Amino acid sequence: MPVIEISRFDLEKLLGISLSDDQIEYYLPMLKCEIEEVDDDLIIYEATHDRPDLYSVEGLSRALRGILGIETELPIFNSKVEFFKCISDGPSYRPVALFATVHNVRLDDEAIKQMMQLQEKLHTTYCRNRRKVSIGIYDLDKITPPVKYMGVKPEDASFVPLDMNNRLNLKEILEKHPKGIEYAHLVKDHGYFPLLIDSKGKILSFPPIVNSEDTKVDLDTKNLFIDVTSTDLQAAFKVLSIVATSLYERGDYIGLIKTVLKNNNEVVSPDLSYSIISVKKDTIERLLGVNIDSNKIIELLGKMRFSASIENDKEIQVKVPPYRADILHEVDIVEDILMAYGYDNVEPVVMRPLHPGREDGLEFFTRHIRELLVGYGFQEVNNYMLTNKEVIFSKMGLEEQPVVEVKNPKQETYSCIRTWIIPQLIRVLSNSKHADYPQKIFEAGDVAIPDLESPNGVREEKRLAIAMTDSKVSFTDIYAVLDSIMKKLNLKFILKRAVHRSFIKGRVAEILVNKSNVGIIGEIHPEVLEKWDLTTPVVAAELNLGLIKEIYLKKNV
Amino acid sequence: MENDRSERIIISDKQYTILKLVSQGINDVDDISQRMGVKREDIMRDIEELKVRGLLNIKRFSLDRYGLTKEGELYISQGFPEEYLLEVLSKVKIIERNKISSFLEKYGKKLDGYHLKVALQHLAKNKILLFEKDKVRLNEDKKDEYLKNIERIKEILRIINKKGVCDDTYIINLLKRRKLIERKPLTKIVLEIPPIVLEKFKKGLVRKQRIITVLTSDILSEKSWVNASFKEYDITQSPPVIFPGKKHPYLDLLDQIREILVSMGFEEVKGPHVELELWNFDALFQAQDHPAREIHDTYFLKYPIYGRFDDYELLKRVSLTHENGWITGSKGWGYKWDSRKALRLVLRTQTTAVSVRTLYTRGEGEYMCFSLDRVFRPENLDAKHSMEFYQLEGIIVGRQVTFRHLIGFFDELARRLGLGKVKVKPAYFPFTEPSVEGFIKHPKLGWMEVFPGGMFRPEVLIPLGVRESNVAAWGIGIDRIAMTILGIDDIRQLFSSDIAFLRNMKKPFIGSLIER
Repeated sequence: MPVIEISRFDLEKLLGISLSDDQIEYYLPMLKCEIEEVDDDLIIYEATHDRPDLYSVEGLSRALRGILGIETELPIFNSKVEFFKCISDGPSYRPVALFATVHNVRLDDEAIKQMMQLQEKLHTTYCRNRRKVSIGIYDLDKITPPVKYMGVKPEDASFVPLDMNNRLNLKEILEKHPKGIEYAHLVKDHGYFPLLIDSKGKILSFPPIVNSEDTKVDLDTKNLFIDVTSTDLQAAFKVLSIVATSLYERGDYIGLIKTVLKNNNEVVSPDLSYSIISVKKDTIERLLGVNIDSNKIIELLGKMRFSASIENDKEIQVKVPPYRADILHEVDIVEDILMAYGYDNVEPVVMRPLHPGREDGLEFFTRHIRELLVGYGFQEVNNYMLTNKEVIFSKMGLEEQPVVEVKNPKQETYSCIRTWIIPQLIRVLSNSKHADYPQKIFEAGDVAIPDLESPNGVREEKRLAIAMTDSKVSFTDIYAVLDSIMKKLNLKFILKRAVHRSFIKGRVAEILVNKSNVGIIGEIHPEVLEKWDLTTPVVAAELNLGLIKEIYLKKNV
Repeated sequence: MENDRSERIIISDKQYTILKLVSQGINDVDDISQRMGVKREDIMRDIEELKVRGLLNIKRFSLDRYGLTKEGELYISQGFPEEYLLEVLSKVKIIERNKISSFLEKYGKKLDGYHLKVALQHLAKNKILLFEKDKVRLNEDKKDEYLKNIERIKEILRIINKKGVCDDTYIINLLKRRKLIERKPLTKIVLEIPPIVLEKFKKGLVRKQRIITVLTSDILSEKSWVNASFKEYDITQSPPVIFPGKKHPYLDLLDQIREILVSMGFEEVKGPHVELELWNFDALFQAQDHPAREIHDTYFLKYPIYGRFDDYELLKRVSLTHENGWITGSKGWGYKWDSRKALRLVLRTQTTAVSVRTLYTRGEGEYMCFSLDRVFRPENLDAKHSMEFYQLEGIIVGRQVTFRHLIGFFDELARRLGLGKVKVKPAYFPFTEPSVEGFIKHPKLGWMEVFPGGMFRPEVLIPLGVRESNVAAWGIGIDRIAMTILGIDDIRQLFSSDIAFLRNMKKPFIGSLIER
């Protein structure tokens, strides 16, 4: 979740009051802003993905004014329609651009810092790293509207990008400018690149990559021009509302701009209108378990910057400000009511069980088998399901077999899901040569084997793996354990000679119960032991517990 | 009689013999061992035991004693070198000095240079041999007396060999000079019975009995233990180390947590680790371009890539809900939903997938389910992060279920896990509204986020067929809680591959399960 840094002085200036540390630590979490640091100058908090309007001090102060009762209900945005008409005719893979202006802004270093922070945090979250939406902010007085959004060939336009001294064409920007390099993947495979130019042919920016140095906002900027370009019109409207209403906190009015879209439809942006959502009183009560009086609900909603009114005995009509992109459903309003009400004011109640609880059957069966193994003196171990092919195949003397393999492993060591557990037990023995002997270990765990017949493309099995090592240990030792487990389960089994290269030939067998192959048992091949740097013999067995449970159920229950 | 019995002293056969000999005035350990026909060291352990029990006093002192040197031993077994020389020289009376050696050989006698020199030296000194220029002449007159004297010395050597003493200091010095004997001081051990013990001994209160060190089946079947007593065990000594078979401490703890959930009325449910995105994300109303669905947060598969799902009705419902909210009352996310993407396989990132599968299967009703299993996230494994960890996930389903039940559950679980009071704050999760995060206060680390949860959104529930019931849901990363209970600070230790470490780990107990 994005971490936001703001100046305490700046916040207090926007609020018009000063706040104590305690107040900051109390009120910010009410807005899901988790405080990481507070001192005399600085406040650092982590905001949530659903509240992009809180990614800068402007939006935060607007929300806090509500909670503090300084200014409640819907915020009012002064606006005027701009005289000019922009054109949105972007390349097909990023067709949309929308615009807004904010007039008479009072900027200082901190304000510019916040503006950049808002842009950056929106870009990394809601805008999906500029893939979905990107934002540009310019000095309105350095350009001559109307502005046109269009597609051009990479070599056909050039300008001086931000923080550089020389003109580069769009292709060169992707190769040389740091942002060009970082975001090249968003455009480079296309024949036409997005471009914003003004009526005099001055280039504002190469969205979603970089703005021009010429149109940059600085401390002398009085009026702002904002663009958002996007793959999606709705997303563009939402982001533009957040940006414009935030910047409005430092200005006098927002300019509404008409834009002609590709299909010749005309839209006006930003959208400053509220939306209306009806909330059933029953929903509030049924979801929260708290009975709140209607007038109180309206007051609480006012504190969260909604304007609400009683529609009838059953419903409350709520006006939602344009920057609240997260409100999709009445339950989203219910949460805001709860936030204003105070989570800690809700009385917890423990659900009386209506039915007896129970453990999963296989889990229960497995637990009791594990307890048997403990009774035989085995130490239980716990390995990751993630492992690698070397462990489960080549170090076991096996050819590679199909395996559930991760596309994006962080570490090659953990790049596939185990198909059997014995290799990891041998790894444990290999890592534990300093521990006293004899060593007897087991693990009951899950494995996954690719199986294109099954809906999830894999067959998952609960397995029990056992291994023993000492200066002298043989097939008989592990056979005795297997035999005992099966006797306790009242299951007859036979061993059938098998060929398996992890084990010594003639000392490995399949375990058959009712003709079903339920596992394997044997003495590990010295070549395998050498690969694991083991100098004591190892015997091992692995059983399919799910299958054994099924056979047991059929036979005994 | 009672009194007698309590005053009785029971000792072993051997110890009784020792005490008896001492009471008869035989108090030298060497004498005692000789009489008992054993070596001195064979009875020392018993003597020490008697001493520890206050039945004997031991006095040790050192005695001046002599023993034979190697040379001395040789002389009494083979004879003195003078004897050799005289025997041969008797045959010639006079001989050249440098021919003695070869002459000796001729008669089958052999003396090395050193012993020849010794023999000549002593015989010359006692005037048995007379040196005349380069010849040696035997003085027959004194020869017999000298030989007799040697016999006497041999006898003395034998006595010294046996007893270590000789009264004649002249002889002692002589033998010392000839390096036939040397000082061998002897530690003498003298025993003494304390008067009170002696009195008991005389009264017959000291009884002998067989002492059993190891009770065997033979002893039991012969019933010979009846007249025996058992050697006391030295309980101050440490025993040898043994390792029990035991559960892995973390899995042991998870078993106990399962038990808690079951006792609270929850049924355990299971689901696959390799999961369709449908269940891991789409059914949870996580938009297909949600950041959690990117490679930084989710393990996608190279093989196999796609799964199957045959309930097209559900796919349709999910699709419409994402696109426009369908009938859920939601605006939806407003994008084109792609069923191909929903059928891609991932390693599940949250067991919430298991909860929604459960809701899909069971639908409407009043029930509570939990799952306690592994989930996967792309992380580099280090002390604080793991790519594989356990989640404790659950749902409370019912028409009357509210947010209060959710925080009530947190309170109750925290109480049973011994985590103290829970503080709740608003939070954000894509599939719940309202959402909550429960914090507990860790004695060292301060406030810890441990209980995330919320009420499932209608966009999640209605497509699954749950229209009337509310569902309180929670998904707890149990590893951090387990680490505080187990007292470990490296997350990798939950999956330790070191047998010695596992053997040494203490058995965990959740207090609430054992306090009553």
